[in-house]
Parts: sequence; C-alpha cells; structure tokens
Amino acid sequence: MNDKNIMESHMGTTAIKISARDVQVYYGDNHAIKDVSIDIEDKTVTAFIGPSGCGKSTFLRCLNRMNDTIDICNVTGSIRIDDEDIYDRRVDPVQLRAKVGMVFQKPNPFPKSIYDNVAYGPRIHGLAQNKADLDEIVERALRRGAIWNEVKDRLQSPGTGLSGGQQQRLCIARAVATEPEVLLMDEPCSALDPIATAQVEELIDELRQSFSVVIVTHSMQQAARVSQKTAFFHLGNMVEYGETGQIFTTPQDPRTESYITGRIG
Amino acid sequence: MSTTSLLVIAILILATLGYFLASKRAISTAGGDRRKLHSLPVYYGSNAAMFTAIPALGVLLIWLLAQPMLVERNILSTIPDKLIPEGSSIGLVMSDVRRVADGLEVVVSTGTLSQNETLKLDTEQTDIRALLAGVGAAVGSDVQPEVLKAAQNYRAQTKMGQSWMVLIIVPLALIGFALSVLAAKPTFRARNTVERGILALLVLAASLAILTTIGIVFSMLFESINFFKLHSWTDFFFGGSWAPNFRGDSDLSILPLLWGTIYISIIALIVAVPVGLFAAIYLSEYAGPRVRAFAKPLLEILAGIPTIVYGLFALVTVGPALVRVFGRGQEGLLGLEWMSGATAVLTAGLVMGIMLIPFVSSLSDDIINAVPQSLRDGSLGLGATPSETIRQIVLPAALPGIVGAVLLAASRAIGETMIVVLGAGAIAKFSANPLDAMTTITTRIVSQLTGDTDFASPETLVAFALGLTLFVLTLGLNVIALYIVRKYREQYD
Repeated sequence: MNDKNIMESHMGTTAIKISARDVQVYYGDNHAIKDVSIDIEDKTVTAFIGPSGCGKSTFLRCLNRMNDTIDICNVTGSIRIDDEDIYDRRVDPVQLRAKVGMVFQKPNPFPKSIYDNVAYGPRIHGLAQNKADLDEIVERALRRGAIWNEVKDRLQSPGTGLSGGQQQRLCIARAVATEPEVLLMDEPCSALDPIATAQVEELIDELRQSFSVVIVTHSMQQAARVSQKTAFFHLGNMVEYGETGQIFTTPQDPRTESYITGRIG
Repeated sequence: MSTTSLLVIAILILATLGYFLASKRAISTAGGDRRKLHSLPVYYGSNAAMFTAIPALGVLLIWLLAQPMLVERNILSTIPDKLIPEGSSIGLVMSDVRRVADGLEVVVSTGTLSQNETLKLDTEQTDIRALLAGVGAAVGSDVQPEVLKAAQNYRAQTKMGQSWMVLIIVPLALIGFALSVLAAKPTFRARNTVERGILALLVLAASLAILTTIGIVFSMLFESINFFKLHSWTDFFFGGSWAPNFRGDSDLSILPLLWGTIYISIIALIVAVPVGLFAAIYLSEYAGPRVRAFAKPLLEILAGIPTIVYGLFALVTVGPALVRVFGRGQEGLLGLEWMSGATAVLTAGLVMGIMLIPFVSSLSDDIINAVPQSLRDGSLGLGATPSETIRQIVLPAALPGIVGAVLLAASRAIGETMIVVLGAGAIAKFSANPLDAMTTITTRIVSQLTGDTDFASPETLVAFALGLTLFVLTLGLNVIALYIVRKYREQYD
C-alpha cells in the first residue's frame, strides 16, 4: 500500500499549497516550535507524527491562525498559502479560516440540528443564493462526509444525538461545506472506535481528490495508511519530512527511527 | 455565677479530662506501641470528649428550654382571676411575677437579705417595690400579696428544677466519661465512632436550615389563616382597591400591589438584563485577563451595596433627574408636565435595574464560561467572527442558563423593599404610566407592621397574607429557574 501511495504522489500534481519558512512559536516563555520549514503539497494527505507535546498540533493551528485566539501565543517566520503570507497584516484571519477548514480532536457538533450544523458555514459566508441552494450544499457536504445515508431522514434532529463516529463525520461535513482549499485535522480519530476510525480514514482518502489535507495523528499505522507525505516532529523541531513510505521504511534521522520502532515516544 | 454556667464549665472540664485520659489509656493498653491501635490516639480522646459532653449538654439544653415553660404553667394555675386587672391579660401578670422573682434573686445574691428572710417577706410589713428598686429591679405597680406568693413559688420551683437538673446531668456526664475512657482499647474502632459523630453534626446543620424554612412557612400560614377568618379571601385576591383603615372596614386587595410589584420588576429587568448580559459577554469573551481581573470584582461591588443606599440614590439623584427631564413644565428639559414628584415607578425600576446588573452579569458570566471551548473553536475554525460565534453558538448554548439567571433576578426584584420605599412612593393604584407613584407588596407589609400595631385586626394580619403570597410567587420563580438551570447543566456533563 505504501508503494502505491508513493506511486500516486509521484504521478499526481506536486504544486506546493502551503510553504512555511523558519516558523517559531512561543507560548509565553515556552519556545514550542523551533525553525520549522515545510512545503505541503496540494491534493495530498500530509501526516504530522511525533510524541505528545512535540508541537505538531501547535504547528497545525498556525496554518489557519487558530493560535490567534490564545493571547500568550506568538508566531514568527513566514507561512504562505498559494504564495500569500497568511500572517500579513492585510490578511483577515476570519477569511483565512474559511479557506483553511479544521476538524478537531473531539467531535464538537454545535447544539443545533444536523442540517443547521452543516449550513452554519455556508450561511455565514453567504454561499447559498436561496433555500434550495442551501439544501443542495448541505446534501453535498453530508455526502462527502460519508454520513448522508445515515442522517438524511433526520436532518432536523440534534447533531449532539449522533454517535461519536457520526459526530466526527458530521464535523468533517461541516468543514467541507464551506468549500475550503486546505483541511486541517487534529487527531480526528483519537476519540473514535476502530470501525468509526476506518470510516473516517476512508473519507480522508476521498477528500484528497479535492483538498490538501493535513492530519495530526498519534497512530503511526494511521499515518502510514492515509498519508502520502509524513513529517516527524520531536521537541518542537521538525526532524524529518518525506514520502510516507520512505519515512517508515528508511528513515534518515536516528530519532525518527527510534520513534517509529517504538524506542522513544 | 449561676448553676447553669457552673454546670457547663464542669462538663467541659470533664470532657477535656476524658480526652487526655482516653488517649493515654489507649496508648498504655497497646503497650506503648501506637501501631497496635485501631485508630490514632486523637480519635480515642475525641471519642471520650464527645461522649462526655454531648449527651450532657444536649439534655441541659432541652432542660433549660422546658423548665421555664413547665414552671410557668404550674404558677399560672395558682394565680386567681381577680388579680387580672381590667383590660390586661394573664400574660402581663405573669411577667410581673417573673420580675419580682428575678428581683428577689438579686436581693439574695447582693446580700441585702438572706434566703430565709426573703421567704418570710410580707407585703404588709415591707415595701417590696422599694426593696426591689433598691437593687435595680423595677416593678410597674405595688406588689400584691398573691403576686409575691406566686413569685416565691416560682423561685422555689425553679430552684428545685435546677437541683434535679444537676442531679441528672452530672451523673450522665460521668457515665459517658467512664464508659468512653474504659472503652479506649486497641480493638475499639474510635475513628469510626468519631466519624459518625461528625456525620450527625452535619445532618443537624442541614436539617436546621430546612426546619427553619418550614417554621417560617408555618408561622406565615397560621397568621394568614387568622387573616382570612376576619377578611374575605375573594376581596383579598380579586378586589380592586387597597385602602387600609385602622378604624376597620378596609379594602385590602393584593391586586393593585401586585400590579405595582410586577410593573417595577419589569422595568428593573428591562434595565438589568441587556446591560448585565452585555457586560457578561464582554467580560467572558472579549476582555483580556487583566481587564477581567479588575472589572469583574468592580462589577460585583455593586452587589455589595446595601439596598437602602440604592434607595437614597433613587430618592436624591435619579428621581430629581427624571423630574427635570419629564416634569416642571417650561423649566424642564423637555417642557413636559408628565411627572410631578421624584417618586415614580420609573425611578424605582431604574435603580433596581442597576442593583440587579451584577446579579445578572455574574451568573451569566459563569454560564457563558461553562460553554465548552471546543464549540467556540469549531465555529471560529469555520471562519466565523467572534461576534457571530457568540450570537449563533455561545448564546444559544447558554440560553437556558441565562433564562434561569434572569428568573432569579426577577425573584429578587419582586422581593426588593428599600428601593421601592424610597423610590416608588406609597400610593396603591392601577396605572400604566411609569411616571406615576405606585407601591409594592413588600413596602405595604412594612407599613402595615410598623408603629403601634394590634395583632388581632385584619389591617395588621394582612401583612402575613401578603408575605405568604410573595413567598409563593418568588418560590415558584426560583423553582422554575433552578429547573431550567439544572436541565441546562445536564447537556455538557
């Protein structure tokens, strides 16, 4: 399977979607991310792996400026999406987040109906001309979230009433509904059972057709299964970045090798 | 020093002694090795102190409450009817008896007369009134022989009661002391016993609060029943006018007062809810930690201002300011003649609203903070602005809790007295004009019960019926509020 992934990523487009250079992140006095430079490709699943506290989630949250909501967080360096510096003064973080969607570790459906959960983003951004348009957007998003068949008969029931796996797929559908270009996923399967995890992973593979997906995961098997590129983070540094198959079979750095063979972590 | 205080001191000394003896004995029976004891020596000591003091002090307390009642009943039956003057009651005579008895007690203790001499006292030979006045005990009129006799009886019975009290309580303390000190052996589970004692203390504290509430309700209920015996309940609940008249035959209807209460409360809530809610939203969602650190306590200081001070504010500042705007004809700001005096529904409502702001904001702030951060992140992550997130996600999620907070504020507004007394006036009427003076249930309760009152007339007793209605009203609001708040809480737990 890894070989197949490598083949695919070689064959597909290799346009750079996100390009980060010398990114430093400080939480107060704590230097959480040190000198990270990475090029993330379009229409590719990129996995961030590494032990807890290594900074992979922090770096992910830099990509849509979610760290702005934390007062003591300070980001330096440059992150460019489609060659536009997202930390530029002229960039509205709110607009940016519509372009760079995010799925969180714990499913967080709003206490609203399933329909309203998905329609939330399109309504805010005025993506629908009328009710029929909105219905169509919601249906398309739920289909892409691979949850349409399970919820199509109860769109008006609360999103919080779904099972954990369904909730997470609803959250993915919700993120997809705003037509983002990049989808960030922060350990999207850590609160799910193996069956729900398999469903979400399958979904991630399909989403690759339309988006650049960046996924943070603790499970190396998951990284190997879903991603084409993998970055290994350790103690705030990005240690190694490359084709997923290469990282897992012939890592260049001894720290990467120790981690994937289970000696550190 | 009186017998009772000596007794209490003796019990406490015995308990302290028990504490040390029991812990010593526990260690010595374990052969000096603390590890062989079931509990720490402290527990053996506490157990002994507990068993020495608590039964003895408990019986003492009951005795002190019961004895005067029993003695008085005995004495009352001996007082002949002719002793009761016209227009007076047996209670007044009894208080004379008590005063004479207390005076004689002082006479003996200061050494003016011996115990035997007081028993031989006679109204014919001695001026008892002067004798008592000499030691500082004032009696209203000359002491009659029957009163003196009753007082002497009273003293004798009280003395006998006290001797019995000592005879019963001292052995009780000694038995508790002996048993608990003897029980201090390594196998005795002193820790568990002490824990059970603490549990009993906690249960007692909890039941005291509940019993007091029940007591309050019952006292209101009985007086209200008395009121409804004298005044028709249809007039009280459905009549249209409030005109108490101490010569009798008054109109005592709750409706005009209820209207005033509700009107003022609604104005107060119209002020307090938006301001309090917006303040809460700013503090919980926008303010940085530094602003929050000083703004929140500052807002809560408002809650610590006594309501009478708010009343003064209404009377001297807000009321005249409103008159300047809405009244005084050509001299006023708007050239209107709508408001004549400073006291008005609007005055009281505005000031009460200010009083309620911290109440609403503090509760709403807690509730808004309880909305999980993951929901905010989810919304922000979809490209919503902070204010869209608050409007569409945070507030709907917090809404039931906020409604609960508003209902709690409403029940405070309904029960508020001082602001209304000073700010709203004293005229009971139905009027939709917020610039009119009006009055509320609470202020009428105050005015019906202040001054020289006779607790047998409906004009006074109506206060209890008003109070009970108010209690039921606010209780209902609180129950609904708590129900809503609890239902809301279940969503996130």
